[in-house]
Amino acid sequence: MLPLPSFALEQPDRLDDVLGMAGQLGVKLVAGGTDLLPSMKHRLFRPSTLVSLSRVRDLAGIRQTEDGGLRIGATTTLREVRRNAAVRTRYPALAQACATVATSTIQAMGTLGGNVMLDTRCIYYNQPAGWRRSIGGCLKSEGKICHVAPKGKGCYATQSSDTVPCLILYGAELELASAHGTRTVAMADLWGDDGRDWLAVDEDEVLTAIVLPPPGAHVVHRKVRARGAIDYGLLLVAVQRHGPGGRAVIGALGPAPVQVESETLEDLPQVAWKASMPLSTHAWSSTWRKHMVRVEVKRAITELDRPHLAGA
Amino acid sequence: MNDDNTKGRRRDRELDPRIAARLAARAARAAREQEQGLERTARDVTDPSTYMGPEDTLSGAPAEGRVIGESGTGKVDGLAKITGRAIFADDIRLPRMAFVKLLRSPHPHARIASLDVSEALAMRGVLDVAVGPDLPVRHGAIPVAQDETALAIEKVRYVGEPVAAVCAVSEEIAWEACRRIKVVYELLDPVLSIDDALSDDKPIIHDWKRKKSNVLRRVHQTYGDVDKAFEDSDLVFEDVYEYPASTHVPLEAHCAVATPLDGGRLQVWSSTQNPHYMHRTLARVLGMDTADIRLIKPDVGAGYGGKCDTFCSDILAAYFARKLGRPVKMAMEREEVFYAHRGRHRTRMWLKMGMKKDGTITAIDFKAWADGGAYSSYGVVTSYYLGVFMPLPYKLEHYRFTSWRLYTNKPPAGPKRGHGAIQPRFALEVHLDRMARQLGLEPADVRLHNMFGPDSITVNGLRITSMGLAECMEQVRAHSGYDRKRGRLGKGRGVGIAASAYMCGALHPVYQTNTPHSGVQVKIDRSGRVTIFTGTADCGQGSNHMVAAIVAERLGIRPEQCTVVEADSDLCPVDLGSYSSRVTFMAGNAALHAADKLRKLLVAAAADKLGVAPDAITCHDGRYEAGERGLSWTDVVELAESTYGTLGATGSYRPPKIGSRFRRQSVGPSPAYSFTAQVAEVTVDEETGIVTVDRVWAAHDLGRTLHREIAEGQIEGCVYMGVGEAMLEEQVYKDGVMRTPSMLEYRVPTIYDTPEIHAILVESHDPEGPYGAKECGEGPQLSTVPAIANAIYDACGIWLTHPPFTPERVLKALRKRDRERARAAAAQAQE
Ligand SMILES: Cc1cc2nc3c(=O)[nH]c(=O)nc-3n(C[C@H](O)[C@H](O)[C@H](O)COP(=O)(O)OP(=O)(O)OC[C@H]3O[C@@H](n4cnc5c(N)ncnc54)[C@H](O)[C@@H]3O)c2cc1C
Ligand code: SF4
Repeated sequence: MLPLPSFALEQPDRLDDVLGMAGQLGVKLVAGGTDLLPSMKHRLFRPSTLVSLSRVRDLAGIRQTEDGGLRIGATTTLREVRRNAAVRTRYPALAQACATVATSTIQAMGTLGGNVMLDTRCIYYNQPAGWRRSIGGCLKSEGKICHVAPKGKGCYATQSSDTVPCLILYGAELELASAHGTRTVAMADLWGDDGRDWLAVDEDEVLTAIVLPPPGAHVVHRKVRARGAIDYGLLLVAVQRHGPGGRAVIGALGPAPVQVESETLEDLPQVAWKASMPLSTHAWSSTWRKHMVRVEVKRAITELDRPHLAGA
Repeated sequence: MNDDNTKGRRRDRELDPRIAARLAARAARAAREQEQGLERTARDVTDPSTYMGPEDTLSGAPAEGRVIGESGTGKVDGLAKITGRAIFADDIRLPRMAFVKLLRSPHPHARIASLDVSEALAMRGVLDVAVGPDLPVRHGAIPVAQDETALAIEKVRYVGEPVAAVCAVSEEIAWEACRRIKVVYELLDPVLSIDDALSDDKPIIHDWKRKKSNVLRRVHQTYGDVDKAFEDSDLVFEDVYEYPASTHVPLEAHCAVATPLDGGRLQVWSSTQNPHYMHRTLARVLGMDTADIRLIKPDVGAGYGGKCDTFCSDILAAYFARKLGRPVKMAMEREEVFYAHRGRHRTRMWLKMGMKKDGTITAIDFKAWADGGAYSSYGVVTSYYLGVFMPLPYKLEHYRFTSWRLYTNKPPAGPKRGHGAIQPRFALEVHLDRMARQLGLEPADVRLHNMFGPDSITVNGLRITSMGLAECMEQVRAHSGYDRKRGRLGKGRGVGIAASAYMCGALHPVYQTNTPHSGVQVKIDRSGRVTIFTGTADCGQGSNHMVAAIVAERLGIRPEQCTVVEADSDLCPVDLGSYSSRVTFMAGNAALHAADKLRKLLVAAAADKLGVAPDAITCHDGRYEAGERGLSWTDVVELAESTYGTLGATGSYRPPKIGSRFRRQSVGPSPAYSFTAQVAEVTVDEETGIVTVDRVWAAHDLGRTLHREIAEGQIEGCVYMGVGEAMLEEQVYKDGVMRTPSMLEYRVPTIYDTPEIHAILVESHDPEGPYGAKECGEGPQLSTVPAIANAIYDACGIWLTHPPFTPERVLKALRKRDRERARAAAAQAQE
């Protein structure tokens, strides 16, 4: 068995106690642990202390906001989100996106907050420590070069959270708290273009909730994966009408989700295709993934008008 | 047992007319065999070590005991598995147990310049550190090719090769200590491909060997006059096929636990398929007497061929336990299972075939180059399997093949389900379809046209007894609607067919011996409980149930009345192991032999009591009856024990000595062969290149069904693995580093990727199989991949010669198809 390195576990039940520890040296926050613990086994992180969010009551649960939107606590599990009636009827793409994450067992453990905060992924990075030694590590782990773009100085590990593309189109905001106060920021604006530093959330900030405004135009979520379950997306697509044109957010291409708009709906596949530059961050070919951007956006558009059932 | 329970069970006691015909054919066959120079040593009835021959195997006998062939009975060990009661090696926890972790090579090919373990040894909790020279004896699955050591000595030959081992009080400490071992490597030019291995400019991977070459084995065999036959053909067609490397992915990772016993003995539990060979290997490597090792195979979470070898985990657990005098466990990490490998050889194949206008195959010329990785494993055998099964099941008078099993700087390839036969079968069955289509013939009919019947001899001297492929073809066509569907399913949908054959156990063990291949001991307690001691290694495939069912059938009781004690070298007779699809055929016969001896005593005692002749007694459902009168099982047991003393018997099986005109044919002959026909139905999305396998029908000639659900489960498992190899699985290396040594990125199908599978059982009643049974655990995988490839052609007109059929490969082939079509259209327009 691959041993988990040892660490101290803190399980405070008040948010303030979490905020007191967040951002300190050697501290990592853990919600469901379905992303963090496998990475710790791979020795990508060696925190001395894990601060669990699971006992902080106010962090879980879904409720209506005054303006008719929804506030989803960060530690609400993907299963709860997927099964929630308000989510299913009013934000069906979110319910579907939760349902395409990994498997039902992981959805029962994994949280929406953890999903949004999900580390970027790359085939040269998400590997056991001994494997990485055989390639000398990479910029995002312990090495000095990027194996995807050896001449560059950046990291292209991909945004891989299933829910992010549709959350952006729903206009979701993140509610972030730290010892210095709280702030609420639009998800669309948080992304950076380096896989080591892809989200403008500070180390000492805790994501407390994902806030959705009242639903606007219908959103379609599609995910391309190698198999019918468990796999991370080779491509994540969310599409929405926008006036006479459309908007698309494409994930799993690079550190930031690709956000595009088009004048007409018919142009959207081509616009999205042009803006997409997948690299060899996945086991499956980047040429094919690029080809699939156009196909998937086109297929998503045909689904825009189809009455459909939310949440698998 | 009351009568209700027996309702619906098979009561047919008539001799099947097909079997009667078979019995008649047998006499004719014996005469013909002699004519052809094939000698079969007559069974020596006075020799207690052999048990074979048609009379004894009850091939066509009705299921009098009502156990054989029935469905609905649980596996004898099924409940333990699904309730978590089963004990796997990693479940074993012993007081003071220590743990082993490895430092593995980060380089594909390098000399170990220096190795410093002092810092690791000094760590708190570390008990010992081992390096290559501590275990210098070379071992390997095949005695003629022993080239492996538990830990690398002098050189590392693949990324992931074990270099040093730490034994510590916890896995975590052992893991950390491994990171403190300092190794200085001198890098060597790696040999990373088939071309590299054949090149003269690359270094020799095993430079200590006398033979300075990266070719482990080249096999060349010629039968008839191939070149002449090509000249006489109406169509000669050749192409190159590439079959990818893939691996088994058993649910349970390899694990071994060892603990010292009194008197300097050692007890080892290992998750192995071949405990007997491992028993011998461990003794040799550790310099111990085999009798001083008690080897136990606990419950095993599948192997598929991946647990046939002796691994570093087995050797190191035993080594440290002996040295430190305390229990030691080594459980592999999932990544390490990928490095332990022994999976499918990546194989490049060149196939040339001749045909007459009517579809008659005139000749086959075949070459195969197998990328075998850094060590030989079963590679010598692989080199033969690549060629010897090709002439099955088609009549062929001219055949030639050359195969190379090569060394490369990658984890060692070995036996994976359908060992060595999967790759050539893919090439052959796709090639057949292509040629049939070129001649405007129906591919299924071409197969039937070329197929030989029962009681035949192949061009390379393989003796075929039972053969039910014609019926398999018929059934699979009928069930799938193949004839109705082919070419008529509409755009993007198609069906494809393929046939195949596989062996039921290798005729020769890996080491030379005259001892039986399988032994079984049956003991009857005074209470009536029957205990079966068998050396077989159940790794989930159901061999425990198989022996229980055969013994129960013969004794007229229920399988649940039997306790199976398996694979414990102190308790059980030897069985060679779960490889080459030998277990049902060989251990089944041994079980039948032992049970038969006891049945004679029990029947005699019952006949005596009832005052009838032994022939008048029937045994089933725990009753020994003669007409109206009968005795219960426990009464019969008491009577027999009173008359004959303690009730116990041993049985053994050794395959018949089938002579051959071809002396060199030592690998390939088997006492029987199984046959399969499959139809796959697929959908191709031409826009994305994504192929969906919708349905697969697999009709398999397993001789005789011993347990319906287990047999169907094996067929489904085979199709499942075939679908994985056809659609998803391929081990890709970059600079010698395996890209995806994890279950997340090395993708085996999930249930969503698995087609609807229809398993169809065809019974040909093998004259020498126990109750007529043959294998069904490997053969059915052979025809899955070509059936899918042929279906893809039917759906969209592309021939794919390199599995897996990924969307990218499909799109590429579709574009090529479009270019060719455009060119053809342009050419036509010009005319
Ligand atoms: C086999 C497998 C397959 C997977 N497949 C998918 C997939 O297809 N799609 C997908 O999107 N994900 C996938 N995942 C990843 C993961 O399961 C999900 O993304 C899940 O939602 C993560 O949530 P969590 O609560 O378990 O996160 P954790 O592992 O607990 O945390 C993830 C990261 O976010 C940080 N974090 C968590 N909560 C907060 C918070 N409230 N504030 C600040 N930081 C926080 C943690 O410190 C950590 O760095 C897969 C995981 C596995 C093991
Ligand atoms: S993109 Fe480059 S730097 Fe980033 S994880 Fe992959 S290999 Fe490493």
